[in-house]
Amino acid sequence: MANLINAIVSGLIAGSLYAAMALGLTIIYGVSRVFNFGHGIVALLGAYIAWLFLGQMTGGLLAGTLVSLVAMFLFGLLVYRFTINPLLKKPGWETSTVLFLLGAGILLENVLLQVFGPRVKSIPSFLPGGLRLGAVQVNWHELSLVVIVLAAIAALNAFFKRTRTGQAMRSVAQSIPGAQVVGIDIDRIYGLTFGLAFAVTGFSGILLGTKYYLNPHIGWEWMVKGFVIVSFGGLGSTSGAIYAAVILGVVEAIAVLYLSAIWVWPIWFVLFMVLLLLRPQGILGGRL
Amino acid sequence: MLEVRQLEARYGDLQVLRGVTLRVGEGEVVALFGPNGHGKSTLLKVLSGLHPPAAGKVGFNGQDITALPAHRIVELGIAYIPEERHLFRDLTVYENLNMGAYNMRARPKMASNLEFVFSIFPRLAERRDQMCSTLSGGESRMVAIARGLMSEPALLLVDEPSIGLSPGLRSAVFEAIGQINREKGITILIVEQEIRHALKLAGRIYMFKKGQVLFERPADEVDVAEIEKAYF
Repeated sequence: MANLINAIVSGLIAGSLYAAMALGLTIIYGVSRVFNFGHGIVALLGAYIAWLFLGQMTGGLLAGTLVSLVAMFLFGLLVYRFTINPLLKKPGWETSTVLFLLGAGILLENVLLQVFGPRVKSIPSFLPGGLRLGAVQVNWHELSLVVIVLAAIAALNAFFKRTRTGQAMRSVAQSIPGAQVVGIDIDRIYGLTFGLAFAVTGFSGILLGTKYYLNPHIGWEWMVKGFVIVSFGGLGSTSGAIYAAVILGVVEAIAVLYLSAIWVWPIWFVLFMVLLLLRPQGILGGRL
Repeated sequence: MLEVRQLEARYGDLQVLRGVTLRVGEGEVVALFGPNGHGKSTLLKVLSGLHPPAAGKVGFNGQDITALPAHRIVELGIAYIPEERHLFRDLTVYENLNMGAYNMRARPKMASNLEFVFSIFPRLAERRDQMCSTLSGGESRMVAIARGLMSEPALLLVDEPSIGLSPGLRSAVFEAIGQINREKGITILIVEQEIRHALKLAGRIYMFKKGQVLFERPADEVDVAEIEKAYF
């Protein structure tokens, strides 16, 4: 019983990290209907940038995180302006953007391999020690990760509801002609969306990097999990992605407990197939 | 205020606008009549920047706005109310109106525009916190017009505002458009099939057929029968 509770707690923590990672994917898709197949690599890149600053100075992780956020935001803007924007103007963009981002992801993965090497890296946890409630064991670091993710989600919510740009992104997600007639510059909003999503994704990569080992190939794992999560949650629904991430995180942890770690991937894919057969639009999907 | 000269537009290989020439003076209400599928909506889409022109010129208050993108045209003071409405369905009435005031010129005027909009459409004040996906056809029409007004326009391009509405609502919508022109001095170019009502509202009319202007008349010099005849 204690093992089950610990597994669920562990799953909730992993789930909240997955949620942070899936948010960026949902944001891009929701606003521009572009599915970022290079998503996992974007998270990894954000993590590697922060990793560079570790041990270089005191407060290295914080400085690294800030630099990563800014760099990933700019990277997102550039990717949009120079590659996605031209593709969107041509017919068949739904496919061309997917293929392009997939290819760019592979390219970036190999660049990371060249620059950082194949040895795993990790970002140290920021709080030592833990908490013991009866049979349940949680460490402070992982709790702080959940708190950080919750704070990030709350900040994003406030951004979308209260700022002019956030409201514009929400409007574009719902109706492009509607956004045009109220005077929103669609192109500019798309660029900012990519920037924001890349920054959020990179940030989630840093968080993931404190719990899992980083190597250039783990990006694809994150990508696949992110893909399954947003499909479960309903493409374009941020709350759906969050619920799905937490549920799938817990399911994954329970499966690992009762089966073994080898079953992680089969479980994800079986769940995905069940979803496609029973409710392909996702839990909260339907307003694509 | 609005000068359209020899405007052409295409959908792929299909020529829809074949050299449209018309003008709208400041403060006027001008109605555009004509059969369906002949390009009236396309004309409004090109004027508002939602569809690219193939040839010709559009001038607004002396400025050439021919190939400007939609958001620039809204900034200059032209608001387009599409027939399809294109509301933000998962936002409330108030949030839609708030988005209507997105452009920088409209922001400081938001409170007074909101007041005006609720005064001509009291129903919307009652429904202000309701999701737009739950509104009736007439109510969502009102939100579409109100949202356009929130952008602080000098010129309103309205595409068939009364289509699909009950007679009572139709009158209310035309009444509101008249009020918008009289009380705010906003210039109106309205595409309509409701000839009777539109003739009462308009000062001048254009007959539009096969992608071109067929004729132009002052509204008091033409009757419904003559217009209906020109349809066929």
